[in-house]
Amino acid sequence: MLLIIHNIGEHNSLFLIAILLYLIAAVTALILIKHHKLCNIASNIICMAAALVGAAASLIKIFTGTTQTNSFILQSTIPQLSMNIRIDTLSAFFVLCLSVLVFSVSIYSIGYISHYYGKRNVGLFNFLYVSFILSMFLLMIAGNSVFFYIAWEAMSIISYFLVIFESEREENLRAGKLYIIMTHLGTAFLLIGFMMMYSYTQSFDIFGSSAAIPAAAKNLMFVFFLIGFGTKAGVMPLHIWLPQAHPAAPSNVSALMSGIMIKTAIYGMIRFMFCYLQIQDVWWGVVILCVGIVSTVLGVAYALMEHNIKKILAFSSVENIGIILIGLGVSFIAFAQNNEFLGGLALVAALLHTFNHTLFKGGLFLSAGSIQYATHTKELDKLGGLIKKMPITALMVLCFSLAISAVVPFNGFVSEWLVYQSLFLNIGYGGGGLNILSILSIAALGLAGALAAACFVKLFGISFLGLPRSDNAQKAKEVPATMNIGMGMLAGLCLASGLFPGFFIDIADKVVRSLTGLSITANLQGGFLNATAPLVVSGNSIAPLEILIVILALIAGALLIIRLIGGKYIERKYGTWDCGFEALNSRMQYTATGFSKPLRIVFSILYRPGRKVEIEEGISSYFPTSIKYKVWTEPIFEKYFYNPVLNMVSKISLKIINTVQTGSIHAYLIYIFIAVLTLMLYNRLA
Amino acid sequence: MVEAVYLIVQISVIILIAPLVNGIIKKIKALTQKRTGGPLLQMYYDLFKMLKKTAVVSDVSSWIFKVTPFIVFSTAVAAALIVPVTTLIKPRWFPGDLIMLVSIFALGRFFMMLAALDAGSTFGGMGASREAMISSLIEPSIIVSLITVGLIAKSTSVFEIMNFMQEIHNPLIHPVYIMSFCALVIIIIAETSRIPVDDPGTHLELTMVHEAMVLEYSGRNLALMELGAAIKQLVFITLLVNIFIPHDQLINITGFAGIGISLLVYLLKIVVVSIVIAIAEVSTVKLRLFSIPNLAALSFILSFIGFLQYFVFGG
Amino acid sequence: MSNYLDALSVLLLISAFVLMGNKRTNAYIKSFKMQSILIAILTGVMGINSLLKDGHVDMLVVCAVVIGIKVIYIPYLLNKTCKNVAYRVEKDFYFNIPILILGCCFIVVFTYFSLSTTTGINSGNINMQVINSVSLILIGLFFMISRKKAIGLIIGFLVIENGIFVTALFATQGMPFIVDMGILMDILVAVIIMGMMAFRIDEKFVSTDGNKIKDLRG
Repeated sequence: MLLIIHNIGEHNSLFLIAILLYLIAAVTALILIKHHKLCNIASNIICMAAALVGAAASLIKIFTGTTQTNSFILQSTIPQLSMNIRIDTLSAFFVLCLSVLVFSVSIYSIGYISHYYGKRNVGLFNFLYVSFILSMFLLMIAGNSVFFYIAWEAMSIISYFLVIFESEREENLRAGKLYIIMTHLGTAFLLIGFMMMYSYTQSFDIFGSSAAIPAAAKNLMFVFFLIGFGTKAGVMPLHIWLPQAHPAAPSNVSALMSGIMIKTAIYGMIRFMFCYLQIQDVWWGVVILCVGIVSTVLGVAYALMEHNIKKILAFSSVENIGIILIGLGVSFIAFAQNNEFLGGLALVAALLHTFNHTLFKGGLFLSAGSIQYATHTKELDKLGGLIKKMPITALMVLCFSLAISAVVPFNGFVSEWLVYQSLFLNIGYGGGGLNILSILSIAALGLAGALAAACFVKLFGISFLGLPRSDNAQKAKEVPATMNIGMGMLAGLCLASGLFPGFFIDIADKVVRSLTGLSITANLQGGFLNATAPLVVSGNSIAPLEILIVILALIAGALLIIRLIGGKYIERKYGTWDCGFEALNSRMQYTATGFSKPLRIVFSILYRPGRKVEIEEGISSYFPTSIKYKVWTEPIFEKYFYNPVLNMVSKISLKIINTVQTGSIHAYLIYIFIAVLTLMLYNRLA
Repeated sequence: MVEAVYLIVQISVIILIAPLVNGIIKKIKALTQKRTGGPLLQMYYDLFKMLKKTAVVSDVSSWIFKVTPFIVFSTAVAAALIVPVTTLIKPRWFPGDLIMLVSIFALGRFFMMLAALDAGSTFGGMGASREAMISSLIEPSIIVSLITVGLIAKSTSVFEIMNFMQEIHNPLIHPVYIMSFCALVIIIIAETSRIPVDDPGTHLELTMVHEAMVLEYSGRNLALMELGAAIKQLVFITLLVNIFIPHDQLINITGFAGIGISLLVYLLKIVVVSIVIAIAEVSTVKLRLFSIPNLAALSFILSFIGFLQYFVFGG
Repeated sequence: MSNYLDALSVLLLISAFVLMGNKRTNAYIKSFKMQSILIAILTGVMGINSLLKDGHVDMLVVCAVVIGIKVIYIPYLLNKTCKNVAYRVEKDFYFNIPILILGCCFIVVFTYFSLSTTTGINSGNINMQVINSVSLILIGLFFMISRKKAIGLIIGFLVIENGIFVTALFATQGMPFIVDMGILMDILVAVIIMGMMAFRIDEKFVSTDGNKIKDLRG
């Protein structure tokens, strides 16, 4: 195979340097495979360098590049198999998300992976870790769909290996299996989409024109892309792999998976549906919006019922993907109706939420890793009181929890506010049906916001507050500094992009401008460039920084006045109120299951909870020797959709096995013979 | 200059009047039950007294417990900055809008629930878990009812909405506003922990929600929590009366005299609403916890139908 | 004028929602009473309007009769029936209340969609009052479907009747006097008979659960 490197257009070799650095990191990991500690530190540091270069490259691209794309082509003699790299601002934006997350996760990994030293193959892990990042990087800058597809497959397979890295556990293997099956199901749909792309335009070029594709085929391709990318993004009801696979992977990997891997699907949707196919009908947006609403509400609703930290986070990713899709859906609807300002605004909202979610969800998965590192458990009901043992981690988890609950002054609020505003502006443009859909999305966002707050109060409150519920939690120690630095960076960014949203909105806006030629910030009052200026969307404004200043000033004022009236603060330490009985112990506290019980009962139609109480009677029924209480919720999608389908498929395959797989060699030879004849016939006819 | 006046008026009026509302409600309740009841200003006395007392803090709790009263108080006051008591003072911009308002309250509530879990007490867990349920059920209707009004006013800024409503002749006979109004009344009952959703006067674990969350608090911490809750209640009532029963369009006097009159009328409205709340409270009983979804569903559907009446049926 | 009628139609709709949200038979009667008061106000407003405009007093008489029958006498009768029927704690509905209320919401939307193509009612354009009052009829029917006890069925029936009455009022701005009176008398007799029946059912089946009537089947 002959490779020729072409270099077309504006030159930006930083991206190539980043790729090269990732390659070096991967190779380093393999070379130093014997020296666990050295290998880990070296490859992670090179990774950080690569991430820095990547971030710098993408920032330069976003701020200087306009509509031009950089491209590098590695041509081969095999037709259509050229590795075509093209970078526009959209790619750069996602590379930026990736780089920011990779940088902090790599710092974190230096400490986190230390518990693998001497126990597992750290070199192999780091090799997989770096190639996972590299595959996502290549996917984002791929210029033709063959290359995109290769990177996509590589990403899926490498992440599968990472999911089953701790393979001695049965459930991890099962999770991995489910993951690889679901992801390939999605990929199959993508493949059909790419094939259709080629068959109509004779080209795999993503940046090419789709004018040759007839409308009906475009609609079909939209559906295929939606299913294909939707599976990766984990939208309901294609989400079932997500809550299994994310908890199974090591925490730094699940941070990457949840922080950025599922966003590659968002990238794909924007790239293929928005840029390539061009929106041609309102119903595209409507479908995306509906999927978004369902994912938002059900995702957080299921998150609330879990008591495994990482499962909570995984379901919450489904919710946030839903929010992004709501933004994307509004944008599609608006562009289909030629309402460009609103479309741009909604797209900015979707992109900003993508970025924000990368920050706080990545951070939360890292937090889960820290908790697991310190206590060796992911079960909420075995934790408690960690805020005293791990104060720094606690502070950062609190920041992330506030950010994801869309609370001021953190970043989750800003992007949700933009989504709200775009829904707000959307009402009145379409007919009655669209209005109803928009107000339902607003209601869904409200419900999801409150449920997310409940969910993260539970996560933080049960694990960090109160009394420790197990020995492990009792003995927990603060995690290594590198882990806290990695998380601290993300927490700082969460706060910064919440307080100074102008800068971050500007980045998203530049991307949207290069895609649509329309700048949102130019149409806004107040202007976003000035970080302290309030965000204004046609008269509606928020000023997170001012609110924070007001809150801090009020706290200071309250402290002062109380001091003046009440004198010096005197405090008496005493036990928690125990109704006058013996001292409280940790078993009397509310558990995670108990905390979510009221909502479990209220939404029982969704959860179908069941419970079983086993009482072993002692001397009398008043003094039982043991009481076992078991409560569970039933996943409706699995029960009413996947299981019947699976049963049907396995029934049919059993029949086919019995008739087709006879075991006779002659039968197989006949099959081959028929296949060859059919192909020849096809060749003649086609 | 205008901003400074706005800030001072807003903060002082809200903080000063908030405990009075509770006083009026308690007094009217007492009178309807043929008791004399405490003085109207009882809550002020209580607050002053609590400020001087030693705070008892559970040894299980962490810094979250001590920070929370300040956050609850300051978020409530910060929220008050978004909801003007009078529209005659016109600052150039506000720190936030409706969605910000909801989010600021969410911040306070988030910390309040955490503080409840902090001491490791069962009461706290119970209160937090119930609060989580009630707040999530009520959140969609808050957003939908307020946004509906905002959509008609074409703004999510509370100030703009209030200005818009002043130009409408008697808003409460328009279907969409009736619906939103009714929804908002239910929301206020739920958000301010009043009967029939929660009973502020009880300490029975079957019925406690808000009280269970602040059970561990004492001294100045308790004072701040109570004041924060009172301010939150007043902010919601202000939202209700200043949006749906506007009065500033009737005042022709400009300058400080006009502002003064406007504030007096505002005070009058607050007193009337407090009396109505008190009467409603004595004439109903507290609902079972699991009957609250019925109320929440009613409130959501009312706000939703209100939206439909305007934007879909085109009334 | 039209504004006030709009407001009243919406309040009637709210009263139907509140009725759907009620759990106890006593509360049903109260909500029904509230609804009847609203109808009385509605006829009163229309009556005054027609008195001022054309000098007719028909509507005011109807208003007085509505107050007499629907606001005072029927609730009184129903209360008496309730008292006679021994009180038992029974779950009165098949689905929980939030779902029922959501169902009502769908009814309103559905009514809009089905009526939005109908024109010619009330000066050429479809208006909100008709949508609301037709929804009231359907919600009454839905209420009957959703409740088990006889009292609930009676109340549902009365809500249907209220809905029909109001629809007629809104659509025609006042029917002939004799028709109104006839409907009201009909209702009165029907309630008296149904009240007695409920009492008898309770005696025979030790419950007013209408569903138990299927035990009669041989």
